[in-house]
This record gives sequence, C-alpha cells and structure tokens, in this order.
Amino acid sequence: MAGSRTLVEFRKLTLDSLKVGEEFVSDDHLVTPEDIEAHGFAVEDDHPWLAEGVAPPTLMANQALHLRHSKYIVHAGLHARMEFNFLEPIRLGMRVRTRGKVIDKYERRGKPYMVTEYVTEDESGRALVRGQFTQMIIPEPEASHGHAR
Amino acid sequence: MATRVDIETKVGQALSSLVKDISQRRIDVYSGVKPRSIHSDEAWARQKGFRACLAQGMMSTAYVSQMMVKFLGPSFASGGTMSMAFIKPVYAGDRLTVHGIIKDKQSDIGATRVVVEVWVENQHGEKTAVGHATGLVS
Repeated sequence: MAGSRTLVEFRKLTLDSLKVGEEFVSDDHLVTPEDIEAHGFAVEDDHPWLAEGVAPPTLMANQALHLRHSKYIVHAGLHARMEFNFLEPIRLGMRVRTRGKVIDKYERRGKPYMVTEYVTEDESGRALVRGQFTQMIIPEPEASHGHAR
Repeated sequence: MATRVDIETKVGQALSSLVKDISQRRIDVYSGVKPRSIHSDEAWARQKGFRACLAQGMMSTAYVSQMMVKFLGPSFASGGTMSMAFIKPVYAGDRLTVHGIIKDKQSDIGATRVVVEVWVENQHGEKTAVGHATGLVS
C-alpha cells in the first residue's frame, strides 16, 4: 500500500529559493536499445553503438540536466555550459542514475545562473561520467502560472 | 582504465567536420514533446523571446562527441573529456557545421592526450557553441 513514503515538496525555482549545497538524485534508468536508437535518430549518429553493446558517451546527459526538476518547479531555463569527463562506457542493459549537487549560484548581467556538479553511475555506484553544468534560471513572471521548461 | 588508440595526430590538423540539419522532429525525439517547453512548443518559445523552437544545447555536445568518436573511436567514452559553452540559440530549421582542430598534445600517464578546439556554426557562419574536447592516443 502506498502512502508511507515522504512526498516531494516542489518549490518554484528562483535564485533566492535555490540552495547552494542542495543535492539531487535521479531515478534509476535502464539503458535500452530504444534509447540508443532514439538518440541515434535525434542527433543523426550512425555509429553502430547497438552492435557494440555500448551507448554514445552523452546518452544520459539529460538525466543530469533534469536533476533540478526533482525538487523545483522550473518555469524555463537555458543551458549555458556543459562539462563531461567520460570515465567508463555506459553499456546497453545498465541501470544508471545521476547524482548532483548545486555548487554555485550567481547573477551576471541581470540574469540568474546555477552551477551543478554531477556524476552518472551504474548500479554498483561506479562512476561513468562526471562533470558540471551551468544553467540560466528564467523565473516565472509575477502574474503567470505553469511550470514550463 | 582508458583505452588508447594508435592514430596519426598533428597540432593544427583539422578533424572531419559534420553537418547537421536541425529538424523539429529530431528536437522532439531528443527533448520530448511537452507543453510550455521552448524546445517543442513554438508559441511558448515565441513568448519567451525566441523566433522558433530551440534545439537543446546538449544536442551540440552529442555532435562533438560524434566527431571525437569518428576521430578516436569509441575509446572517447573512457578517458575523453568535453567542455562546451552555448553562446547562441540553435533553432529548428538551422543547419549546423561541427568543427575541430588539434591545438595541443600533452603527456598523460604513459599516453598522449590530444586537445581539440571545437566549435559549432550555423548556416550564417555564426558560432553557436565553442569549447574543447580531449582524448587519449598511444
């Protein structure tokens, strides 16, 4: 029976509401043939990843980028910077998750930004990809509603 | 442990460039179709000040990764690095060209790390993303 778990309380993402040091963790994701095929179509990658049983190195990048959605209502945002350190290949059939931590927030030219470090790991906790990324926060205007990306 | 490949590399050498036509269909598959998304909801993208739906910057990292894999092989996934800044929006309908030039070769634990300056240009010759990627060779 459901109901004993704590529900996530989502907050609207603003520079003020964001906490430096806050940690995120994604759900586990099973890397499927469909993931690799869809990625190949989306970015026109004809490398035979499926035949090799390996995923393209950036396959799980959006799992990292979406970490903030696990705690915040994100009105809109723009991706400013992305860094990857590819440590081990992500393989077909792996269950992977990404952990992240907000390491900085700042305002530049009137625009708010947040910086998150992340690690994507397999079920045993072995790190596959590490890095950090910077996202601009586009806060919800006072009069509008919704939770768009 | 990183895999190393044995290939000829020279500082100043250009990597084979890639050309990508950015369709809304491919953006949809990459980002998912959602209401109030600047990637898949054109009215919302316009409301946010853009002339059309935007491709995720992350798609450009996939293109650079693809260029590096064509250069180094799949070993880019074990020991490779990439750092990119997204400096201009990429819109549905744009044509991108992905470029790379070897800028440096550095000693790295018994191997050589090749440092490649990378950038992505749109059909107007404007840079949309810039950065560098590295990988190990014997």
